[in-house]
Amino acid sequence: MGDTTDIRKGAVIRHQGDLFVVSNFQFVNPGKGSAFTKTKMKSLTTGKSVEITYKSGETVDTVQVERQNMQYLYRNGDMYSFMNKLSYETLDVDASTIGDDAQYLKDGVEVIAIMHEERVVAVELPKKIQYTVTQAPPAVKGDTAGGNITKEAIMDNGLKVQVPIFIKEGEEILVNTETGEYSGRAGEK
Amino acid sequence: MSHVTHLAKNRALLTVRAHVVRLIREWFWQEGFLEAEAPQILRLPGQEPHLSPMKLAVHDERGREYAAWLHTSPEYAMKKMLAAGFERIFALGKVFRDYESFGGTHNPEFTMLEWYRAGAYFYKIMDDVERLLAHVTDSLLRLELPGWSLPRETANWKPFKRVRMRELWQEQAGVNLDEYLEREAMLALCRSRGYAPGVEERYEDLFYRIFLNEIEPRLADMGAVIVHHYPLPMAALARASEAEPGYAERFEVYLNGLELANAFGELTDPAEQRRRLIGEQAERRAAGKDVFDVDEEFIEALVTMPDASGIALGVDRLVQALSGCKNIDDVLVLPMSKLMNN
Repeated sequence: MGDTTDIRKGAVIRHQGDLFVVSNFQFVNPGKGSAFTKTKMKSLTTGKSVEITYKSGETVDTVQVERQNMQYLYRNGDMYSFMNKLSYETLDVDASTIGDDAQYLKDGVEVIAIMHEERVVAVELPKKIQYTVTQAPPAVKGDTAGGNITKEAIMDNGLKVQVPIFIKEGEEILVNTETGEYSGRAGEK
Repeated sequence: MSHVTHLAKNRALLTVRAHVVRLIREWFWQEGFLEAEAPQILRLPGQEPHLSPMKLAVHDERGREYAAWLHTSPEYAMKKMLAAGFERIFALGKVFRDYESFGGTHNPEFTMLEWYRAGAYFYKIMDDVERLLAHVTDSLLRLELPGWSLPRETANWKPFKRVRMRELWQEQAGVNLDEYLEREAMLALCRSRGYAPGVEERYEDLFYRIFLNEIEPRLADMGAVIVHHYPLPMAALARASEAEPGYAERFEVYLNGLELANAFGELTDPAEQRRRLIGEQAERRAAGKDVFDVDEEFIEALVTMPDASGIALGVDRLVQALSGCKNIDDVLVLPMSKLMNN
C-alpha cells in the first residue's frame, strides 16, 4: 500500500483485481479543488492501457517490485538483452516493455529493471546518458540570426540529437533521456 | 548551453506567445479596460485550501524583516480596485504556486490573465472569452508566423459549446446531478460507481472523483466548451444562482480537454465571504499548510464592491492550445524543469 506520491513510471499498482504498470502520469491541481494525479497504466495480464485519476494523498495499492541493476548488452530482433550486474545472468526484455526508450540504449548502459514475480515490467534509464558524437556537420558561423544555433548530430548508437553548433565529432556529450535533449558536454558542470 | 538550445528549439512557440500577450492587451484596451498591475508581493495571500503560496522575506533599509508571500492570483487587489470604483480592469502577469509539478500542464510560476466587469452578469464574461479568443486566433492567422499553424482540432472552436454542469453529467455519465447536490448523496454515488472514498471526504473531492474519471476525458474531443453552473458546495468565491437553486454562478473553459479558465459571478456578501475564509483556514490547518489571517481590508472592500463577474485564464495554456503543444515547458522562456533538473 502506498499513496499518490508513489506513482511513478514503472510502479506496479493493483486496481480492480488486476495488476498495472504505470507508463505515464501527470499531476493536476485545479487550484479551486484538490490536486489529482492522472495515471496512465498498462495491464500486466491483457496489455490494455487505462487512465485512472487519483486524488492526491489517496491510498494507492502499490505492489512491491524488485529493482535490479542491469547492464544493456545487445538487441536481437524484438528482444533486448541485459545482464544482471550481481549474478551475471542475462535476461531478455521485449521491445513493447521498453517502448520509445529503446532509442537511448547503447552497449554497456546501466539501467534498472523493475521486476514483478520474475518478470520485467519496466526498464528505467539513467536520467542522462553519455554518448560519443559520431557525426556532426561542421558549424556554419554567423547563422544564428536565422535561429540555427543547433544542428542535428548522430550519437554512437545512432540516436539523433539537436546539439549546439560548436559540438564536434568525437566529443562526449550528455543527453537527457526524459526529453531527448542535449544536456551538456560530459564533464561540464 | 541547454537553456539556449531550449530557446532555439521553441523559437516559433515563444514568438506565438509574445504575439498572444500583445493581442490580449490590445483587445482589452479596445474594450475599454484598464490594466491593473496588482502587487506580486503580499502580506496576506489567498486562503484556497489547495494552493501553496511561496514565502519570502522582505527587509526595510534598517534590516527589519517582514514576512511576505508571492501572490497566487491578483484577485484580492483587483476586487479592492472594484470597490474603489474601477469598473473594467484586467491584469496580465506572473503568479506563483508552490508544490506543483515541473512541466506537463503546470509550472510553479506562470502567466495569469484576470479580468473583472462591475455590474455584469457572468454570461457577459463568457461572451468576453469567446470574443477574446476569436480576436487572438484570427489575428495570429493573419500574421502567418513561420513554423506555426493552428492545430486542426482548434480550427473549429467557434462557436463555443456552452453546457450546464448538470447537462454534462446527464449526457456523459447518465447521472441526474440535481439528486447529488449534498455530500452524503455524492458519497453514496461514488461508492455505487466503484470508487473507495474516505468517509470524511468533502463534496468537491467526491465530485471530482467522478468528474475527472468519467466526464473530463470526454471533453478532449469536444473542442471549446464552457461548463457553467457548478453545485453550490463548489462555489469557492462565486455567489449562489438565484435562477438555478442548488448551483453557483461559476464556469470553467476547456479547450480540447485542457482546463483554461475559471470564472465567477463574484461573491460580494462580506459575512458569507468571512465564513468561507474561516472554513478554508480550518482546512489549511488540518492539511498542515501555512494559515494566513483573514485580510480584513478585503472583507471591508466587499461592502462597497458592486456586483461583478470575473475570470482567471492561464495564458501559458492558451498558447499550448493554440499550438497543439502538450508540454507547458515548450511555451516558457525557461521552465522550472530546466532550471532545477537539467
